[in-house]
Amino acid sequence: MSSAIDITALHKRYGHRTAVHDLDLHVQPGTIYGLIGPNGAGKTTTLRTLVDIIRPTSGQVRVLGEDPRHGGARLRRRIGFVPGELRLEGRVTGHRMLSFYAETSGPVSRGYTSELAERLGVDLSRPVRSLSKGNKQKVGLIQAFMHRPELLILDEPTSGLDPLVQREFLAMLREARDAGQTVLLSSHVLSEIQQAADEVAVLAAGRIVAQGDVASLRLGSVRRVRVALDAHDPDALHRRFTGIPGVTELEVTPHGEALQLAATVEGGIDPFVKALAQETVHDLTIEEPDLEESVLRLYGPAADHEGGAR
Amino acid sequence: MSAVMPVFRRSIRESWRGLIGWSLGIAAVLFLYLPLYPSFGANGQLDSVIKALPKQLVDTIGYDQIATGAGYAQSTFFGLMGFLLFTIAAVLWGSSAIAGAEESGRLELDLAHGIGRAQYAAESALAVLVRLLWLGAFSGAVVLALNDPAELGIHPPHIVGASLALTGLAFLSAMAGLLAGALTGRKAWATGVAAAVAVLGYVFQALAKQSDDLEWLNALSPYAWVYQQPPLKEGVEVGGLLLVWGIAIVLALASALALSRRDLRG
Repeated sequence: MSSAIDITALHKRYGHRTAVHDLDLHVQPGTIYGLIGPNGAGKTTTLRTLVDIIRPTSGQVRVLGEDPRHGGARLRRRIGFVPGELRLEGRVTGHRMLSFYAETSGPVSRGYTSELAERLGVDLSRPVRSLSKGNKQKVGLIQAFMHRPELLILDEPTSGLDPLVQREFLAMLREARDAGQTVLLSSHVLSEIQQAADEVAVLAAGRIVAQGDVASLRLGSVRRVRVALDAHDPDALHRRFTGIPGVTELEVTPHGEALQLAATVEGGIDPFVKALAQETVHDLTIEEPDLEESVLRLYGPAADHEGGAR
Repeated sequence: MSAVMPVFRRSIRESWRGLIGWSLGIAAVLFLYLPLYPSFGANGQLDSVIKALPKQLVDTIGYDQIATGAGYAQSTFFGLMGFLLFTIAAVLWGSSAIAGAEESGRLELDLAHGIGRAQYAAESALAVLVRLLWLGAFSGAVVLALNDPAELGIHPPHIVGASLALTGLAFLSAMAGLLAGALTGRKAWATGVAAAVAVLGYVFQALAKQSDDLEWLNALSPYAWVYQQPPLKEGVEVGGLLLVWGIAIVLALASALALSRRDLRG
């Protein structure tokens, strides 16, 4: 079976600035593919070339077997697209706007638009420009999903959505995949991609720095930890945790009666937790660093390229 | 599968209310000016006022013909207030059609759907044309209706020619703006180019009237192409009319080509 999306050696330059550099990407039909990377990594540029909003400087792009430029409107009817910076300023209502897109890209099954609106919780009888950012984003999702396109290209689709709606959106993604639709989505939020995607590419500065299934990318393996614990000797505490594999950026500071320990833990967290268990823990926060930090740490110039790197 | 001319129909649907406003404004101007002709122009009252004004000023604003009904309608409406209103409408519509849609982010979403680029430009141009034709037909109809009551004495077919001339000038400006928008995606450029075409056309013919040495400027003025031979008095000059409309249509086609060839702005 041929790929839903085939990108080979894609370059995109704007003047002297190269937005996308020698990018290869292949998305199999019926899968969810995640494109992650910090802002400005080239995600939006890549996705926009797929719907012929912008044209490659060089390289080959095939979407559903066709060159987007030659496939034109006919090809785009088979695609649902959410732009990265969705702006809806019209005086028209959501219903009116969606029925316009149904005319150009339809057919849309009867009642499906309202069903999606109800699912996401947005009022389509209001003028789109009066909607909040989150509600505009919902209208954006509906216009991409409503004609059940073979391919969904979603640029930061969850931006502005609250967590409940994000969950609903993830369910919609899985349903789309189960129905045989292909999804390519971008995000700068790692957890979102981890929950949804079958396969992932990590973009940084216009290049793919890693590609594979989500688990193999180790992106989730960097954690920022903050603990408040019962201890009186900062130096002893510092010595104890310094020896643990993967612990860096260790800081111990007094925190009222107790001590506060902050550190970055890379790789397995178990040794750290075991060491922690010997103390009385008042508070514990483990958070994933922002994607930019993870990508830089794992795939930046200083990092080694074993493991998840291709 | 996809509906016929969706972009065109959407433009019309979204603009008909505004179009009524424009029509009312134009009607107001016509009903204000034209019925005054019998009391002002016809009895020579206005003529004596004009004679007291500096000749250069009178030539510039085209009041030299004001003593006849045809000249009065030309000087007040077709050459001045009507030209101004039509030009404003043309500049607004021509610059918002592509450049405005692009700056508001609508174009990106539209073109990610089943709409071709050339199709988008062509349907946008057509929507502007239809609205301007409506304003032209409406103005012509009002002038015709006032022709007898206001004792203008214009030969009715000449009203058709003058309306086509006025509409053509506006369409030319609008399409220049459309092309600038299709090339740059910037509303400021589209607005500037559309307005410049109208303003320069007006300024060139006004300067050309001032001295024989400057008469060559008429060749650069679309305004002069259709208005130098007074359309309400002698009938519109068909060559000039065709030139204005022809260039406007070429600009519309060029817009379709230009939009098809570039990246959209993000």
